[in-house]
Amino acid sequence: MKPLRHWKIFGFLTRHVLFALIIGGLSGIFFILILIEFDHFSSSEEFCTGCHSMELAATPYRNSVHYNSASGVRASCGDCHVSEGVLQATWDHFVGSKDLIRQIKGSLIGPDYDDPVIHALHIPDAAFSAREWFIKRGSATCKRCHNKQAILGSRLHTEAVHKEDAKDKSCVECHINLVHRKVPDQKTFKREAWNRMIEEEFNLPVGEADRLLE
Amino acid sequence: MNSITKIFTSSIHPASPLQFFSRLTLSAIILAFCSLANAGKVTLDKSEWGIEGGKECISCHKKSSKGLATQWEESAHGKAGMNCLDCHQADIADDDAITHEGEVIATIVSPKDCGRCHVTEYEQQKGSVHANAAVLIQNRIPALENIGGLAIVAGGCDQCHGSVVKVKGDGTLDPKTWPNSGIGRINPDGSKGSCTSCHGRHLFSKAQARDPGACMRCHSGPDSPDREIYEASKHGMHFMAQRDKMNLDSDQWRAGIDYSAAPTCVTCHMGAAGKIKPTHDVGMRNAWKLNTPVSEKHYLVVFEDGDKLNLPVSREAPERGSKMTKLDGSMGTVKAVASPERRRQAMSSVCLECHSKAFAKNFMTQFDDVVELYNEKFGKPAQAIMQALYSEKKLTPLAFDEPLEFTYWELWHDEGARARHGAAMASPNHTWWEGIYEVGRNFYTKFLPQVREAAGEELGNALIKKHVTDNEHHQWLKQPGKGNPILGYGLGGQ
Repeated sequence: MKPLRHWKIFGFLTRHVLFALIIGGLSGIFFILILIEFDHFSSSEEFCTGCHSMELAATPYRNSVHYNSASGVRASCGDCHVSEGVLQATWDHFVGSKDLIRQIKGSLIGPDYDDPVIHALHIPDAAFSAREWFIKRGSATCKRCHNKQAILGSRLHTEAVHKEDAKDKSCVECHINLVHRKVPDQKTFKREAWNRMIEEEFNLPVGEADRLLE
Repeated sequence: MNSITKIFTSSIHPASPLQFFSRLTLSAIILAFCSLANAGKVTLDKSEWGIEGGKECISCHKKSSKGLATQWEESAHGKAGMNCLDCHQADIADDDAITHEGEVIATIVSPKDCGRCHVTEYEQQKGSVHANAAVLIQNRIPALENIGGLAIVAGGCDQCHGSVVKVKGDGTLDPKTWPNSGIGRINPDGSKGSCTSCHGRHLFSKAQARDPGACMRCHSGPDSPDREIYEASKHGMHFMAQRDKMNLDSDQWRAGIDYSAAPTCVTCHMGAAGKIKPTHDVGMRNAWKLNTPVSEKHYLVVFEDGDKLNLPVSREAPERGSKMTKLDGSMGTVKAVASPERRRQAMSSVCLECHSKAFAKNFMTQFDDVVELYNEKFGKPAQAIMQALYSEKKLTPLAFDEPLEFTYWELWHDEGARARHGAAMASPNHTWWEGIYEVGRNFYTKFLPQVREAAGEELGNALIKKHVTDNEHHQWLKQPGKGNPILGYGLGGQ
C-alpha cells in the first residue's frame, strides 16, 4: 500500500522539530501572557506614579470623578491612556516610553520633570498630545465605559444633547479638562499667559518661566 | 478762563468780534457734541450678522441652558437673526478667547463688542461716569477693603462699580473678578463698562433699561437711595400708578411725544426730550457732584478720544486743545468743555416737557439751596475739622481705626448724600427726615462729642468755635433759653 501523501508533508516533523515547535509555541504564548501582564501592570496607577512627575499629574486625577465616582467605578491611568488589545497596548507603551526616556534624561541633565514648576510649564504640551491621541482614536478608551446611547444624565436634556447634537462627535471633542489640570484648547492657548500664571502660582520672578523653558 | 468756557458761563458781556467767532466755533463743537449724543439705530446691513458658525449653537443651548436661549429668542437680537457668535466671537489673540465647539469665542461681551453694531451708544458710554465707575472709586477701595475684605470687594463694591476682569493663564476668568456686571467693569479688551448692567442679558431689552428697576440694583441703599427717593417722589408716584401708559417698548422714546405719564431715571439723565438728544452718557446733565464730602459744581471736560472728566469749578477750566491728565492717569487732549450751567440747562430742558420754565427754575433753586445748606452748615465745617485733627496728629492717618472716622464717613457719604439726592429728585422724606435731619443729629450728638474726645478739651473747643459756633448756620445754639413744647418744655408750667 502506498503511504499516504500527507504523511509526507509532515515528514519534516522529526522529534527535534516537534520539540522546537512546542517550546516555541509555549514561549510565544508565554510571551503574549507576559505582554498582557506587562501592559496590565504598566497601565496601573502604581506603575505610572512610580515617576514623581506622574505623581504630580495624578494629584488632580485623585480629586476627579474618574477616581471618585459615586458608582465605585475607578478608571486607572491605562484605562484612559492605553488602547484596548495587546498589540495596540504594547505599541502605546512603546511610544510612551519616550516620556520615560525624557524623565531619565531630565533627572540626569535636566530639565527635571519632577520639579513641580517644570511639570506645570510642560503640562499644556502633554495635554495637547494626549488630546490628539484621543481624537485620532475617536475617544476609543472613553467608550470602554461610556456608551453614548446609554447616557441619560441627571439634567432634563442631557440625553437629547448626546443623541442629537453630539451624534457625530466623539467624547473629547466636547469633554476635556475632566481629570488633569485645566489647559485651554491649543488653538487659543497662550504660552505667555500660562508662564505668567505659573510664575504667580510659585512666587517666581517674571520671566523665570521662559528661562526655565529655554 | 478761556473763550470756550466763557461762552458757556457768561451771557452778560456783549460779544466782541473775536468772541463772536469763538462762539461760532463753540456752537460747532456743541453741535458735534450733541450729534454724538444722538442715539443711533444700527445702520449695518443685515448681511453683517448671522454668522454661519453661530447658527449651530442654539440647538444645543436650547437644551443645556434653555432659559438663556429662550431670552435670546425673544430678544430683538434673536428676532433680527443675530446668533450667539455674532456677539461672542473672539479673535484668537484676545486674552479671554477660548475654543468652544470648534469656534473661538469669549464669555464676556464688552461694550466694545456691542459697539461693533451700536456705534453711537458705545461712543457715548465709553467716557461716561458709568464707564468710569470703577476708576472713580479706586482711592476709596483700600480704606473700605480694610473694613470688609477682598471677598467684599468682589461681591460688593465690584458688583456695581465693576471689577478689573482678570483672565488667568489657563484661559479661565478669575472668580475674584467674574461673574461681574458692574457698570464700570474693566474688560479684558481694555474697554470700560458693561452694557448688561442695565440691558440684562440675554434679552437686552430697551424697555427694561428704561424702567427704574434697571437702575435700582445699584442706586439703592444708604449712600445713594435713588430707588427709595424716586419711589417717594411725585415722579415715582406717577410711574407706579401709570406704568402701563409708559410705552416702554417704543422704538423712539421721547418725553412728551412717545410717553407722558411719568419720567423715569432714564428720562432726565439720558432720555430724549424736546431738543435734547438721548445719550448713553448718564452724567452729562449733572451740574453738581453729590457723593462727595462737600458738593461742588463741575465742568464736563470732553477729550478727543471720547473720554470725559468732571472737573470742579474751583479748578481753572482747560483750554481747548490743551493736554490734561485723564481719570486713568493717561494724558488726553481737550476737545470741549461744558460748564455746569450748560449741563443744568440740558437737565432743565427735560423738565419743560411737563413743567413751566419758572417751575423748573424754582425747583432747581430749592435743590441748589439744600446742597449749599449742607455744604456750609455741615459738609465744610466737618471736613475742616477732620483736616485739622489729621494735621494735629489727633487721629492716625489710617482710615476707619477710630470711631470718629466712621461717624464722619456716614455724615457725608450716607446721610449727607441721601439728603442731597433727596433734594435733587424731590423726595421730601429723604431730603429731611432721612437726610439733613440725620446729618444734624449725627453732627451735633455724635460727631462733635467725638471731635472733643479725639482733640482734647482745648483744641476741641477751639475747632468747634471756629468751624461751628462762629458759623452763621449754627447761631441757634447760642439761644439756650428758647424752649419748645415738642420736647416737653413749658408743659410743666416752667
